[in-house]
Amino acid sequence: MEHSILRSAKTKSAVEHVMHMLFVVCGLIAVVAVLFISIYMVASGGPAIAKIGVWEFLFGQIWNPEAGTFGILPFILSSIVATALAIFIAVPIGLGAAIFLTHIADKKTGGVFLFIVELLASIPSVVYGLLGAMLVAPMIFKLQNMLSLSQSGSLLSASIVLVIMILPTIISVSVSSIQSVPKAYNDASLALGASKMQSIFKVILPAAKSGIAAGIVLGVGRAIGETMAVMMVAGNAAIMPSLLGPVRLLTVGISLEWAYSSGLHREALYGIGLVLFVFIMIINILLSFILKKGGKKS
Amino acid sequence: MKKIVSMMLVLVLALGVLSACNGNEAGDKDTSTNDSAVTTENKGEALSGTVKTGGSTSVEKVMNALIYQFQDENRDVTINYEMNGSGDGIKNTLSGMYEIGHSSRELKKDGSEDGLVATPYAIDGIAVVIHKDNGVKSLNADQLRDIYTGEITNWKEVGGKDAPITVVTREASSGTRSAFAEIIGLEKDDDDSTALVASATTCDSTGAVQTTVSQNDNAIGYMSFSDVDTAKVKTVQFDGVDITTDTLKDGSYKLKREFYLITKEGATLSPAAQAFIDFVVGEDGQKLVSDNKLLPVK
Repeated sequence: MEHSILRSAKTKSAVEHVMHMLFVVCGLIAVVAVLFISIYMVASGGPAIAKIGVWEFLFGQIWNPEAGTFGILPFILSSIVATALAIFIAVPIGLGAAIFLTHIADKKTGGVFLFIVELLASIPSVVYGLLGAMLVAPMIFKLQNMLSLSQSGSLLSASIVLVIMILPTIISVSVSSIQSVPKAYNDASLALGASKMQSIFKVILPAAKSGIAAGIVLGVGRAIGETMAVMMVAGNAAIMPSLLGPVRLLTVGISLEWAYSSGLHREALYGIGLVLFVFIMIINILLSFILKKGGKKS
Repeated sequence: MKKIVSMMLVLVLALGVLSACNGNEAGDKDTSTNDSAVTTENKGEALSGTVKTGGSTSVEKVMNALIYQFQDENRDVTINYEMNGSGDGIKNTLSGMYEIGHSSRELKKDGSEDGLVATPYAIDGIAVVIHKDNGVKSLNADQLRDIYTGEITNWKEVGGKDAPITVVTREASSGTRSAFAEIIGLEKDDDDSTALVASATTCDSTGAVQTTVSQNDNAIGYMSFSDVDTAKVKTVQFDGVDITTDTLKDGSYKLKREFYLITKEGATLSPAAQAFIDFVVGEDGQKLVSDNKLLPVK
């Protein structure tokens, strides 16, 4: 560092100053972007909702843009049910995998598994959609055939694809929260005569509770925001959700009709965006609440 | 980018020199000479200016090809093409915002679109497609309508095997959907909406329809004939007539739509706009139409 400009006190303070400003600007860009998106969503989605009527928009059961009927209750319910079902299936699997990786598998195997799980997280969603359409949907077709229903994309297919997509999030967040439980807890539990399973379920999981909850909420966020993969397997009919029938989720509602829409139809799609935005906000607020609560306790 | 621009400039210059020597040798790659360029030269004035056009997205492929070649031959003319759907194309031509509107449907006869002229320049067949293993050969308009309104729900009702039909459709406000709905009589009288069965699987593109039908042995869909891949799906006869370029040409296959240029009745168009229309319906334009797997009108 002999020739560094940092040697002189004067340039040093100038560099400090410039870098300080630079970081402030970087921080502001993110904040301003979020601020603008919020304002934009409200400004472009709000008028349509007002025109259609909040009640009719949120609780209307019929979506028929050609007739000027814009009710998104089927989309909202489909999104909620598909996400809930995905979480319901993914959480036990994810938690089990996390326990396996941290307490049952040896270090080397666990490392390899975790690497694979994280790889799973970085696969683009369109690939999941393809696999879903090629592998999952045909299996559901067989089920639909047995019940003599028409074979089509369905809520169940969408949820199964979502399960695979949110598993990595749940697993990796759970693993790190389980790993952050002090080893002494486990040792103490074992020393008191608890079996390995007893100590996992009675000591470690309760201690890692808030981290696991955060992982679940993150998974919910990912599931509810997913578009591409879901669109390829869900059948996308704008009707009330049923397990083996086609459904249209909020995200798909926007992207499916975006290209050709105009006028109030286009504005109503912004309205769906606003509803989705509010959903995601609630999830994020919930997440920071959970994390804060967990932080306080430990 | 710079390279392309300069190459184009060189081409223009070369063309200019050539046409100055002898107007009849003006064509660079097309020996079938270019009528409009010759006419304007005879008039002794070069075309210039910007023509505002817009409308249908279904015509995108062929229209971009037409505009590209026209602009290539008339360097000082810019043809704008806003893609916002046939409805907007017609509306904005009526209001005077566009000199030429693009439409993939006929003008309505209810009085709302009076005062406009529709010039057809291409014919696009709408193919009804089913899975390759499906034995159904032919459907008529009534059967198609009943399938798409949900009256007929099983293939055995139209001479196929005993299996529930999976109805595949396009999203609201798609041009193909509205043309199809109009021809088979799905449109309701009181508004623009269609009496389409709500549980139909909805796809957001021609390709998605084809993929969905190819993967579902009980599915039926409709799509632009120019995009049909017979390795993936099977076309169904409409009223006992196969869809081929011949049956489209002689008019025996009824499930088709025309692409139109919309102009104001009795209005004098700018020379550039008039030249563009002449080009599209002229020999060179019609050749481009066939090159894009559509049927020329002449």
